[in-house]
Amino acid sequence: MGTDHIVLTVPARGEYAKTVRVTVAELASRLGMSYDGVDDMRLAAEEAFVFACERAGEDGEVTFELEVAEDTLVLSVGPLPDACPSPGDEFSESYASFILHAVCDEFGIEHGEHSCTLRLVKRADAVAGDARA
Amino acid sequence: MRLRETRVPRAAKKQERRLVWDKQRTRELFAHYREHGDEESRDELITMYLNLVKYLASRFRNRGEPVDDLVQVGTIGLIKAIDRFDTSREVEFTTYATPTIVGELKRYFRDKGWAIKVPRRLQELSFKVNQSIDQLTQRLQRSPSIQEIADYIGVTTEDVLEALETSEAYNFVSLEGERSSDGSESFSILEYVGEDDQLMAVVDDRTMLNSALKYLAPQEQHVLYLRFFQGLTQTEIAAQLEISQMQVSRLLRKTLKVLREHLVTEEV
Repeated sequence: MGTDHIVLTVPARGEYAKTVRVTVAELASRLGMSYDGVDDMRLAAEEAFVFACERAGEDGEVTFELEVAEDTLVLSVGPLPDACPSPGDEFSESYASFILHAVCDEFGIEHGEHSCTLRLVKRADAVAGDARA
Repeated sequence: MRLRETRVPRAAKKQERRLVWDKQRTRELFAHYREHGDEESRDELITMYLNLVKYLASRFRNRGEPVDDLVQVGTIGLIKAIDRFDTSREVEFTTYATPTIVGELKRYFRDKGWAIKVPRRLQELSFKVNQSIDQLTQRLQRSPSIQEIADYIGVTTEDVLEALETSEAYNFVSLEGERSSDGSESFSILEYVGEDDQLMAVVDDRTMLNSALKYLAPQEQHVLYLRFFQGLTQTEIAAQLEISQMQVSRLLRKTLKVLREHLVTEEV
């Protein structure tokens, strides 16, 4: 199995959190991730989405790029405006980092010239590999 | 809460540039209202602090409710705060009013949560999924895959994923006041958070963390601690606290929501 790319763009509004959660959960489940792993990814997708919505603003959009490899799900969220005009934004960034570090195997915020992108990596637990769809 | 122009996040600036109130005028108006029952003073106070309501309501804007409705709900909180504010206490009105307004907004969402009608089929499915996760975990000695859960109860993986979403829709509220018998009633995360801790580096102010944690029940704090500080998986937490994994999942999501709202709001 090579790497499949899926791109999902949704309005930056809370009502789309479910769309994001379900899509990410479905892809995580395809990799044969355990319930624990799938639920971690749902939580991660939601945290990343909330963080992205704060940056993208009410009329903005949030793009999720998902790379589905044999046993790894890579989720990129962005590009998002990189401006940190107030301490509140810095706080929101460190809070999101704290949560996302805990639930993903890898997490980072890549800063471009005027934008930033969240990158989350989660690997399927080997034990549930037989259940791969 | 510290309200200073420099610390107001972008969203608030866009909506209302001025988030600093005239303290002297506030005191005068309260004095008029308290001593003479002057309704005009009360009205002026409401108008004066409407931008606090708008700002706090905007923090909930991503939940699918029109912001205008949220401002109305928040205004009820503001009026309650004005009527109850004890001017003899040395506390700023904004400090007193913020939790009241946020509380009113939360109650609104909570009441709406109750109103969500989940079809019986989905309720039953969610119940079965919940049970099967625990049974399979015990049998396999690991967290089962979604496919394994689906096979076990004879449904599709889509059904299982839908059930995970459903369980949050109608169980979120019922968790309030629910306690396990494992002694976590007395659990307080603050006892475990050291000054050099990762979360302290994020929050950097113990008072702020303390006030945000007030909104979490001991069991919620315990789950939060085990997942994010101890790095336990949901399966391990469920076993330790003798609750179902779905409950762990819901508790985690709830605690994160509460922290997100309160920590960010406190940061204003």
